[in-house]
Amino acid sequence: MFREIFVVFVVLGTVVGVVVLGYMLLNAYRYRDGADREDVRKADGDRPTLGELPEGSGGGRKLFLSFGLSTVVVVSLIVWTYGTLLYVEGGAAAQAEDPLDVEVVGFQFGWKFTYPNGEQVNGVLRVPADRPVRLTVKSEDVFHNFGIPSLRVKTDAIPGQTTETWFMAEEPGTHTAQCFELCGVGHSAMNAEVIVMEPAEYREWYGSLNETDGNASSVAAPAGGVSTP
Amino acid sequence: MSDERDTAGSGTDPDADPAPRPDGGSAHAHDHGLPPASSVRRWFLTTNHKDIGILYVVTSLFFLVFGGVLALLIRMQMWEPGGAVMSGLAYNQTVSTHGLIMVFWFLSPFAFGFANYVVPLQIGADDLAFPRLNALSYWLYLASGVLLGVSFFQGATFAGGWTMYAPLNIPLYTPQVGASTAVLALLLFVVSVTVSSVNFLTTMHRMRAKGLTLRRLPLFTWSILLTVWMMLFAFAALLAALMILSADRLLGTMYFATESPGGSMLWTHLFWFFGHPEVYIVFFPALGAMAEIFQTFTGRRLVGRKWFIAAMVLVALQSFIVWMHHMFLTSINLPIKTLFMATTIGISLPFDLMVFALIYTMLKGRIRFKTPFLFAFGGLVVFILGGITGVFLGAVVLDYEMRGTYWVVAHFHYVMVGGVTALVGGLYYWFPKITGRMYDEFLGKVQFGLYFLGFNLLYFPMFVAWETPRRVFDYPPELLPWHRAATVGGFLLGISFLVMFYNLYTSLWNGEEVEGNPWEFGHTAEWAVPSPPPLENFPGRASYERGFLDFVDRMTADGGEPEEEADGYRSPLSDGTGARPDGGSSTPDGGVVTGTGGLPAEREEGGMAVSHAEEPSHASIWPFVTGVGAFLTLVGLSGVQGGSLPGGIAGGFYLGTALAGGLVTLGALFAMGYESFHAPEMAVAERWPFAGVENTKLGVWIFLASDVVLFGAFIGSYVFVRFAYGWTEWHIVPHNSLPGLINTYLLLTSSFTVILAMVAAEHGSRKGLLASLTATLLLGIGFLVNKGIEWAELLHEGIWVDSSISASTFFLTTGLHGAHVLAGLVITVYLIWRAWGGAYLGEEGPIEYFGLYWHFVDIVWLFLFPLFYIL
Repeated sequence: MFREIFVVFVVLGTVVGVVVLGYMLLNAYRYRDGADREDVRKADGDRPTLGELPEGSGGGRKLFLSFGLSTVVVVSLIVWTYGTLLYVEGGAAAQAEDPLDVEVVGFQFGWKFTYPNGEQVNGVLRVPADRPVRLTVKSEDVFHNFGIPSLRVKTDAIPGQTTETWFMAEEPGTHTAQCFELCGVGHSAMNAEVIVMEPAEYREWYGSLNETDGNASSVAAPAGGVSTP
Repeated sequence: MSDERDTAGSGTDPDADPAPRPDGGSAHAHDHGLPPASSVRRWFLTTNHKDIGILYVVTSLFFLVFGGVLALLIRMQMWEPGGAVMSGLAYNQTVSTHGLIMVFWFLSPFAFGFANYVVPLQIGADDLAFPRLNALSYWLYLASGVLLGVSFFQGATFAGGWTMYAPLNIPLYTPQVGASTAVLALLLFVVSVTVSSVNFLTTMHRMRAKGLTLRRLPLFTWSILLTVWMMLFAFAALLAALMILSADRLLGTMYFATESPGGSMLWTHLFWFFGHPEVYIVFFPALGAMAEIFQTFTGRRLVGRKWFIAAMVLVALQSFIVWMHHMFLTSINLPIKTLFMATTIGISLPFDLMVFALIYTMLKGRIRFKTPFLFAFGGLVVFILGGITGVFLGAVVLDYEMRGTYWVVAHFHYVMVGGVTALVGGLYYWFPKITGRMYDEFLGKVQFGLYFLGFNLLYFPMFVAWETPRRVFDYPPELLPWHRAATVGGFLLGISFLVMFYNLYTSLWNGEEVEGNPWEFGHTAEWAVPSPPPLENFPGRASYERGFLDFVDRMTADGGEPEEEADGYRSPLSDGTGARPDGGSSTPDGGVVTGTGGLPAEREEGGMAVSHAEEPSHASIWPFVTGVGAFLTLVGLSGVQGGSLPGGIAGGFYLGTALAGGLVTLGALFAMGYESFHAPEMAVAERWPFAGVENTKLGVWIFLASDVVLFGAFIGSYVFVRFAYGWTEWHIVPHNSLPGLINTYLLLTSSFTVILAMVAAEHGSRKGLLASLTATLLLGIGFLVNKGIEWAELLHEGIWVDSSISASTFFLTTGLHGAHVLAGLVITVYLIWRAWGGAYLGEEGPIEYFGLYWHFVDIVWLFLFPLFYIL
């Protein structure tokens, strides 16, 4: 979803940029002093003079046309992105059947994950492929932001508040979660590992979670952060 | 660099006559009581807008270097993934102060250096409305910058990003003293800005040349007018945020503590409500400079000028309703996100219009690609790119991914440094006017080449490597080439500035001397006076009454003699020959300049008693002393933590410095109030819509508008925090509303006595005036004593600022109000002292202005009392 919208914006933005900048550069060249042009000579009769009362040079029509065109583009863009927002926020999440609910808690400087069975794991998030995952995100100290760029996940982790986001990974693999809000000296290393597993393997791991200690291996857990009083 | 300040005016000696006088008599005193520009003393005493403009430009360029070095440190750290150069704490301090310095201490002061210099010239005023306040703004700005420098040496400076999110910003997470100092430095900066806003607004609304209606204002002045309106309201919100943060850090209040669940969100709202208008505050002067430079160097008036102005006004208004696009990933709900998405993408519309207007202005032009135009043009190019990428961020679904990444960093650097680019163009554009010398054009083009290449090499790769999180110096190896390219670009950009400094510095000495208007098609009023202009700016009263700029003999200071123009009096502008030094053609209606702008001969007959000969001094040391006092006071206060000072020598140092600073500040303010300083109103001017409101009164009203926003933010913060906590679970602090009720009556009565004082002054009754002022003072003291008793009882029960979030909001908000009452009482004491000596009889102005302030303070209490005692 993100990819598509991003590409549309990039293409549209590039087109607009090329057209506008191209027009700018073309006319800067065309109307350089010394270029002998009829319209310039005609305009020579009405150039700004020192001490004149400031005024414009008219030419409203071209401006209106361009402005009208850009308004159409901008309003369409608002309408379309609103549609995408509704889809992401409402529609897709509602269709999600049986999401996996994981609570994410950010702290200086790592991430803890609590699964539906109440078990908490530090530094590694394991999810099954092909199943919607709903993350409820909090912070136990300062303002963080939990993001998994390669899975297009991101939401703020705010002390005293709860935010929610969801995703569905289609393929097994390993991803990295990072912190996207400056949170202290360990911010640059505040990462967690995200492992997307085959559903069967996931079920097996999940079942074994009850038997082992809550803290998983600190594969990606960062070196000890500042202890908060 | 500091040398520039001493020698800036060395090209001309303002004490000498610019032209020999036919009657052999001496010209009116040029110096306004100021020492010559080549002396160091001059720069501490001056209140002249041109001097202060130079001070701002030079000082801000120093901060550009400071912030730039910090930026290069960031880029060096990013040379290797994982960081090559500094620790996490050092890096965080670097990114934070880079942002703070560039946004606050470089960009706006740089723009306001030009605003100070150029706006009075463009509108036909002699100076700003309140020259000493102008000097005060500058010294407070410098003091705040020095204070920020001090913060680096107190443990560590602020390391929570220029956005200062809560609760990272409280001592629990950033315990170093330097962090508090940085917050106080910013607070002082905001005070400087507020003083400046009041000054500029009063000036631009009430001191325009006759015939120069708001519609006809030059575009740079328009951009400054809107900038200052935005500043007035936006910075008041920041001031509230910083005061609350300072209280949390120094006094132990709990707005942002863990116990306050709404704290984080409160900060984001307060900060971004300020923060979004701020980026337009920073950009608008650049836009104004672009408009001027485009017109001058294309030889065309702006296309769609009135729509351009309307678009600027729209942006200024809309800037206050987009702030939550910085918060799309917080816990705000979907309807609100949608609303702000619409307003955000919508704000691009007026910008589109302005961009098109600038581009169309080139058509049919005669474009000369001199350095100012190269920079203005280049600035527009990068601003367009930056603007397009901003639309991406306005689309919520994209922002969901781009939040907190280098896409944001690249976007805002393209637009903000795009603004810097245009202002650099402004620096080259106005350099000849300010110094009387032309810069080296070849070097200017060299700088532009290096600059443009460096700029794009630095910031464009950030779009490619956009997935890197902000303020993080670790990234995957495939992004290495992009980050390294950015580092190279950064150094190139820095080197280009070295070229600029070299160029401008050597041109000060060796540059070709220029006349009043070195630019073909320069048409606004600043080009109609010599380069540099004399202290009094114009050879007469500037006027556009006849449809073009003209200089009329001034009326006497008391408006006695009506203006007359003698037959044969020639304005230097209406030369009539139509010949122009640069060989261009001229329009037949006389809008022409001869170039030197030499003074017209003084009239021989005794008819005009021009008051220049006795023109009072415009020198004052007190703004500088106030700046020193403010600096010392805040250094002293920075040591406070949890409401108390550390023990031993450190504590003694902080206490002593704070006390000394307080005394110096108060003394300087008193002295400034007492000294005789005459900055008369213009006899004839455009004043719409404030024609009936005299300058000082308008200044007070504008200041009060800012104060309204300040209290609004405090009250809003209370309501927000209380809602987040749970409105009904909240424990109201005062058990008994009786003291509050008594205080209400005391204040209301005191407002009445102030009115009595004003009436007494009007009628010339010294006894009546003294009696009512004293009554006001006593009632005010009663208020404070009553409050003191109430607070002492609470303290006795163990309830103090740091007991609970409820206590924090109660004490801080009513405390802020109490501080306003105290300030009012200090002023009352001063008024009583002066009234004892016979002042104000028949001239009740100051009493009336004080009354406005006092009524405001009362009205605020009428809101606070029910909110904190009853609801």
